Amino acid sequence: MKLASKLAVCAAAFAASVAAPMAMAQSWEFGGGVGGGFYTSQDVSGSAGSAAAKLATNIAGSAWLTNNGAGHWGGELRYDYQLGDLQLNGAGTSASFAAYSQAFHYDALWYPMRSGSRIRPFVSAGAGVKIFKGTGAQVAYQPLNQIALLTQAQDLTPMASVGAGVKIQLASRVSLRIELHDYLTPFPKQVITPNAGEKVSGLGWLQDFVPMVGVSYTSAGR
Amino acid sequence: MSRKLWFPAQRWAIALIGAVLMARAAPGANTFGQVVTIGGEAIDIALDESRGVLYIANFTANRIDVMSLANYAIQTSINVAAQPSSISLSPDNHWLLVAHYGDTTPPATQSNLLTLIDLTAANSKQTFALGNPPLGVAFGIDDKALVVTTTQFILFDPALGTTQILQTVAQVATNAIPQPPATFPLGFTEAGVATSKDGLTVAGFGGSTTAGLLFKYAVADHTITASSWGATPPLGPRAVSVADDGSQFSLGWWTLDPNFYIQSIFNGNPVGLYTPAVGYLNIGSSIIDSSRGLIYAQIPPTGTPTTGNTNTPILQILDADNLTSHDNLMLPENLAGKSVITNDHNTVYAISDSGVTVLPVGNLNGTPRLKMSASDLVFRGNFCNRSVATQTLTITDPGGNSTPFTIGSSTAGLTVSPSSGVTPAIITVTVNPNTFASQKGTVTAALTLSSTVAANLPPAVRVLINSQDVSQRGNFTDIPGRVVDILPDPTRNVYYILRQDANQLLVFNSINNVQTATLRTCTTPTSMAITFDQQYMLVGCKNSHYISMFDLDLLQALPPIVSNSDYVISIAASSNAILASTFSAADGTYGIDQIDLVNRVFSRLPTLGVWQNGMLATDSALAATSNGAQILVAGADGSVLIYDANAGTFTISRHDFTSLAGSFAASSFGQFIVGNHLLNASGVRQLDLPTTTGNPSGFAFVDAGGYYTTAPGSASPGVIQTVDLTTGNSVQPTSMVEAPVLSPTAFQPATATNSTTTTTTTTGNTTATTTTVINGTNISTSTVTCTNTASGSTSTTLCTNTSSSSTVTLPPPPNAFTRSLAPLPARNSIISLTTSGFTVLPWTYAASVAPPQVAAVVSAADGVSPAAPGGLISIYGNQLSATNLATSEIPLPTALANSCLTVNGEPMPLIFVSPNQVNAQMPSQAVGDVTLNVHTPGGISDNFNLVVQPTAPAVFLSGVAGPQTNIPTIIRAANNQLVTDSNPIHPNDTLIIYLTGCGVTNPVVADGLPAPSSPLANAVAFPQLSIGGANLPVLFGGLTPGEVGLCQINAQVPANAPQGLSMPLSITQGAMTQTLNLRVVN
Repeated sequence: MKLASKLAVCAAAFAASVAAPMAMAQSWEFGGGVGGGFYTSQDVSGSAGSAAAKLATNIAGSAWLTNNGAGHWGGELRYDYQLGDLQLNGAGTSASFAAYSQAFHYDALWYPMRSGSRIRPFVSAGAGVKIFKGTGAQVAYQPLNQIALLTQAQDLTPMASVGAGVKIQLASRVSLRIELHDYLTPFPKQVITPNAGEKVSGLGWLQDFVPMVGVSYTSAGR
Repeated sequence: MSRKLWFPAQRWAIALIGAVLMARAAPGANTFGQVVTIGGEAIDIALDESRGVLYIANFTANRIDVMSLANYAIQTSINVAAQPSSISLSPDNHWLLVAHYGDTTPPATQSNLLTLIDLTAANSKQTFALGNPPLGVAFGIDDKALVVTTTQFILFDPALGTTQILQTVAQVATNAIPQPPATFPLGFTEAGVATSKDGLTVAGFGGSTTAGLLFKYAVADHTITASSWGATPPLGPRAVSVADDGSQFSLGWWTLDPNFYIQSIFNGNPVGLYTPAVGYLNIGSSIIDSSRGLIYAQIPPTGTPTTGNTNTPILQILDADNLTSHDNLMLPENLAGKSVITNDHNTVYAISDSGVTVLPVGNLNGTPRLKMSASDLVFRGNFCNRSVATQTLTITDPGGNSTPFTIGSSTAGLTVSPSSGVTPAIITVTVNPNTFASQKGTVTAALTLSSTVAANLPPAVRVLINSQDVSQRGNFTDIPGRVVDILPDPTRNVYYILRQDANQLLVFNSINNVQTATLRTCTTPTSMAITFDQQYMLVGCKNSHYISMFDLDLLQALPPIVSNSDYVISIAASSNAILASTFSAADGTYGIDQIDLVNRVFSRLPTLGVWQNGMLATDSALAATSNGAQILVAGADGSVLIYDANAGTFTISRHDFTSLAGSFAASSFGQFIVGNHLLNASGVRQLDLPTTTGNPSGFAFVDAGGYYTTAPGSASPGVIQTVDLTTGNSVQPTSMVEAPVLSPTAFQPATATNSTTTTTTTTGNTTATTTTVINGTNISTSTVTCTNTASGSTSTTLCTNTSSSSTVTLPPPPNAFTRSLAPLPARNSIISLTTSGFTVLPWTYAASVAPPQVAAVVSAADGVSPAAPGGLISIYGNQLSATNLATSEIPLPTALANSCLTVNGEPMPLIFVSPNQVNAQMPSQAVGDVTLNVHTPGGISDNFNLVVQPTAPAVFLSGVAGPQTNIPTIIRAANNQLVTDSNPIHPNDTLIIYLTGCGVTNPVVADGLPAPSSPLANAVAFPQLSIGGANLPVLFGGLTPGEVGLCQINAQVPANAPQGLSMPLSITQGAMTQTLNLRVVN
């Protein structure tokens, strides 16, 4: 799928997910947080051998704009930035390549407790896009390049997001957010390219678990 | 009237005298340095950079002349007491201390003094009396001065005016005043003292001409370390220089380490064969430049006249550690003692005949000099190519000056054009092979360069001309300079060659004979030995008290092994002892030393078993058996000794010959070769090897026989043969491409040059005639002094005759023995040191060879594409060469390892030959249907017909990345790495593609020569490139500058290049296209 068509599909999904909560908006909240990203790996295997491919655990940062309804629902537009080298491990050796990822997504939020509670747990689900970018120094030979190639390329993939967390009111307009997200994307084959004859095993999806702590500022009282 | 006429003339005369006396600074047209005349005899100098002046002790004028560093004018003088003999400036620039040498002959009374000048108080002076003649003064960093007298080391505190005796010393000989006329100041005090720039070390020496005291004063703890010395010839000049950190001393014709071990002996004749220094106390100087690791020195050689200054004084620029020469500069006059260097190390001030000479060593480029682009030129005629050969030589001035020159040769058949010009200039050197066609060995000629303006003496270019005949075996490799020893490494697939003139141990790969390392050795290496455990290499040197030691696994130098007084002539290692034949400077004898690796020293064995030590010939060569059981000692006087490692002593000593020279070798089976004599285990002659083919050069025992090389002369072809050691018969004597190195003495015992010299000196009415006769090692001197007394008309002449006799200590003569042959342990080749350097012979050099067969001719880039004019090709077949050999010579030779190739009769430049593959350059005239032939000693191949395309672009598949091979040599300019799947092409990348077969270029580049960088050689058929269908703009397409037959395309990847793991890159030139698949990403 070419980059332009990927962008169109992702934009449609994003617009559809944004539409409903916006109509019920009663207060706005914006904030940011930091945490860590933990990727699961996928095996790339074939006649040349097998290697586990993933992005390395590293720090993640996020910024969000949330619209909370008067009831149990809300929605938020979110940007995530995450460092994480591309990694291959197999045959007793490893290769890595500097990289980062960015994600834009919209998540719907459901609060079991109505607004006004000092502590408000929530769950979220949504979709968006994720961009993987290889930034390391390319060299003529990388370990395990008979299996997969780590390069200075860019991958734009659709992304599904699920998560849960809790908001704890610290002051009248300030809340502490503790949350965990799971971002699911297709395997980024432009930045981790299986060599000829090699394939990504299983469904070929990467999961990225991101625990995070953040602070929100609410623009209007509940 | 007359007064008016006279007056201007007087002014002109005064101006002229002034110009001569004060401004003789104008440098000579072709000399280095500027002379400042002082009108007296300078004996010591001190540099005061804070005040911009140089203090000059004017010994005979009783003053301190103060010279401006800005304009080199003597701006003032400080009058002091009689005979200021040594001066030193305190580090805080407060005090100038002057020692006065008042050692007079009665009835005059001694007036030995110190004068302390306070430079901060209008040069006010104080004097202090000394009991003995002072030899030198030197301040340490503590602003206290060491005063060295003939009996004491005294510490003088200028602030308090106190003295403290640090140590007493034995009387050091000096000469009392008055002395005969034309005796120069250093001849009075016979001493020199200097301080390191860090102010922590003072070093000096004094004594008679041939013996005295060396000392080192550690300023930090006020301790003095002293050592006696002896030297023949006299240890002159009496100039001392100390490295900035005190780690090295240069004095007389020695350099010493801090422990007084002699690191190096200066060569008195930098422009010819080694010549000992003459040792005059008042001619020459040396100074260590620690910032550049150099020593600047004038060390006059034996034969330098004592009077008249008719020699050409030469300043040598040398490596400080082993005195390897960098350049030689002519001086305007003789230096005459101490030199000092500025703190920025850019200017040296040296005492010289007229006063002081200023040497701008940091601005050598400001002095016209000449430099040639090559030290050797090799012309290889061969049986494929008898055409006139030309090569170019570039003459430059390193400073970029336009310096006129003349170049020429006296050898017929060797011409240069132009023979004169102005730098920079390219000289075409032409050899007419017909002149040398009858000369089957290598003719050595010289191109000499001269100039009326250049101050340096560039060495002559050695021209080696060889016209190898089909019957001559081997391929020679040029090594500039003089090679003296060769050893194969039994365990490492390398062999070692000792290059004496450059003080280098060269390491060669024994598979492809390519040099892989260069290691610096001690000064003038003579011989080498590998320790019995095969871990270390030891190199002995005849102009150093060091033995260099190297770790052979790491190819790194280890701390040297040292001796108090011995110089190594030859060295060998047995299983339990490492021995060396040495010359002892202590007693002038030649004997055997043992090397102690644990304590890193070598010293004389007390005895050689039951025989006395120290009675060896002047030249003795040592060879150990490969099993380490024995060491052979062969003497040039005909003596033979054998050391038995099991007995731990010498068991054989015989003197059955009148002289011995040439080859020497030891077998593990109780046999020895010396010259052409085969000796048994008892050193008794068994039989003689034939000498009908010339003098013996090399011998190597192999199995039950041996290889043996001989030659009648260095310009003749040598002969290699195997010998039957039971009969002495020669088997299959085979002509070599050139002669193996021969003993310079060629069976002649080393002797001194006999001579008779007569000098006459007239003083008043007294005439002294001195006759010196050198006969062998004996020197006899007789002086007849006649005094003519006139009374009225009567004249009376009274003569007295005095004579003396002594034995001169000769330096070790050139090596009488030669170790020149090294069969390699892998039994693939035999290496012989030969006229040009070394020659590689196939192991089966005499085997009959089948004629060569050609099977395929393809592009060398990918082994598939066709050949194109000027392109690099590979020829596959059988019997293409007897051995593997690659060359880096430029221009590419047309014969290599006895193989040469022709295309339509034209010789083909060769890069690599082997039995089944030859890499070469297709001549640029070859196009269309051509016929290729290979010529070897086995014959000429059948005609191989092929079609040479006008263009045939083929990218080299020689790239390697990790374990990946056969990668196209396409480079991403972004990171200068090969394009691979892990380093893919990106949009807008610039690619550099290396290929061959790009066809004719403009301008045309001659075959075998590298492409020029200006103008670039562009391909006439311009290349067109595309990737995945998108065209790549080509920035350059043509020959790579500096390379032979190698093409280069620089192209830019368009922004819209299609992406994929395997995108086709097509390169089209003319009608030919090559396609490669490469990865492209966003």
